[in-house]
Amino acid sequence: MCRLYISVLLMLLVSCAGGLAQDSLSHDKFLVRSVMIGVGKSNVYDTYLSPLEYRGPELRFMHESMRMTRLMGGQVSAQRIVQVNASSTDNISKSAKSYAGMFNWTYALHYQYNVDDKLKILFGPMFDFNGGFIYNTRNSNNPAQAKVYGSIDVSAMAIYKLRIGGYPMTFRYQANLPFIGVTFSPEYGQSYYEIFSLGHGGKNVLFTSFHNAPSLRQMLTVDFPVGKVIMRAGYLCDIQQARVNNLKSHFYSHNFMIGFVRNFQMLIGKNKISLPAKVTPF
Amino acid sequence: MKHKNYSLFAILLCFSLAIMSLSCIREDVSGNTPQANFESLWRIIDEQYCFLDYKNEAYGLDWNEVYSRYSKRITSNMSDYNLFEVLSEMVNELRDGHVNLSSGYGTSQYREWFDAYPRNFSDSIQSNYLGKDYVITSGLTYQILENNIGYVYCSSFSDGIGDGNLDYMLKEMELCDGLIIDVRNNGGGNLTTAQKLAARFTNEKILVGYMSHKIGPGHNDFSTPEPVYIEPSNGIRWQKKAVVLANRRSYSSTNDFVNSMKNMPLVTIMGDKTGGGSGLPFSSEIPNGWSIRFSAAPMYDAEMNQIEFGIEPDVRIDMSEEDILRGKDTIIEEACTFLKKNQ
Repeated sequence: MCRLYISVLLMLLVSCAGGLAQDSLSHDKFLVRSVMIGVGKSNVYDTYLSPLEYRGPELRFMHESMRMTRLMGGQVSAQRIVQVNASSTDNISKSAKSYAGMFNWTYALHYQYNVDDKLKILFGPMFDFNGGFIYNTRNSNNPAQAKVYGSIDVSAMAIYKLRIGGYPMTFRYQANLPFIGVTFSPEYGQSYYEIFSLGHGGKNVLFTSFHNAPSLRQMLTVDFPVGKVIMRAGYLCDIQQARVNNLKSHFYSHNFMIGFVRNFQMLIGKNKISLPAKVTPF
Repeated sequence: MKHKNYSLFAILLCFSLAIMSLSCIREDVSGNTPQANFESLWRIIDEQYCFLDYKNEAYGLDWNEVYSRYSKRITSNMSDYNLFEVLSEMVNELRDGHVNLSSGYGTSQYREWFDAYPRNFSDSIQSNYLGKDYVITSGLTYQILENNIGYVYCSSFSDGIGDGNLDYMLKEMELCDGLIIDVRNNGGGNLTTAQKLAARFTNEKILVGYMSHKIGPGHNDFSTPEPVYIEPSNGIRWQKKAVVLANRRSYSSTNDFVNSMKNMPLVTIMGDKTGGGSGLPFSSEIPNGWSIRFSAAPMYDAEMNQIEFGIEPDVRIDMSEEDILRGKDTIIEEACTFLKKNQ
């Protein structure tokens, strides 16, 4: 386990160093972008609002981009994912409704190990930021809960390429496990009136790790060509949990995603006022 | 090397799955039976209600004893209606108007805090003072009485009161010899609205009380009380004597308003003791979907005294039967006399 932590810390240091050498990342290179939308089920629970779990449908949008960097001899890829999801959920007796919306931004640097021509294993650190809300339509002075938290995650991925009857497919499994982070939370019985109208503080920013926020975001995707388009289908399992300030909360969502993948070649200086005479069509 | 990376990936996967399986954070309820609903309601109050210790001192409330007494009345085959009756009775043991159990059958309410006291307000008698040319503006009804005393009736703090409305109202009253702010029968509303009105009666930042909240499920798990101040308004502020009229139905944020006004140097509180309700109410629910509102965060006066059971007026007056028969409001009459004498 120590070796795992050391690897993660090393990757983190390398990624910080990478931040200082930004121009090495902006050289021409290939970029893989995907856009997916998904539908699924959500289970929302926050004891600040209710002791009961709320269940209902969820919609999700995901934008992902991935490219190789020049870090560690060109063995490190960078992945950025932006996700937005919204859910409308009911309590078990259908007597109350809650609405939730979450935004998630992650940036990961993965060391890529090519096992063979077909299989790649990636692992590295991930910066994970989340913001959103849960609104319970029935509550009085505790109608909503703000969700703001961030963490440094351990991220791992396996990419497997295969052909079935000459038809190429790429499978990918990814798991992100928050390792250390911070979260906002009101205290157990603290109202937002006290925090914002009266300016009363408390332990509202808290350290999180496995012991009080055991969370996991996993996805399984498959890329397959349809004509000239590369389609991507996937399953996403998002488990976000926290137990802070004697308040318990979770977001469980399971989504089936569908979208497409596009490959880009980045051009140096494409944002300049004019392109070099050799390449400009004008 | 190949073997090492496989191992690392496998360890990571197993580690993450182990963490997830060992530490799911789930709801802590056990079904939807009458017993489960009773347990759930009892526990919400036990862990989140903020006056259990205070009420134990004030009138001997023992929430564990309440559990023993009421659990005997819960049976697995009782009807929902009977369950609602028993649970309503149980939460009324808290003697708190902010504790309400709501179901399809209705909403429970503890009413002794006003039913056991004189009404001390009559809207038909009030209309004798308002006449026909009074002004109504966002929650305020006002008139200049024949004796040149300004009279403002605030029936609720639920609707916001605009700064412009307050400026205009106080401008209208500027030549009056005194001002009456009547909050009788005002059952509350928004604390910020109540504080906005109170901010028109001070020229300096003034300490009006303290507030704390629960930081854990223990009966005594409270945050350190933090001071609550009223900052003077930037609009027109009242600079003469004023009287606030209260009765037992002055409750919740109106109780907070009276508490704030009690700290203003030119303000006198007259009428009856307020109804109280100093706990900021939160909402929750039990497995069958009935909702429960309860006091979650206590507010105190400037001397850190509890004001849950009301605030005593500076001058205690009840409406007399004789005056009621004559169509007179004893409390308004006394307030006018007081303001004329002390202008």
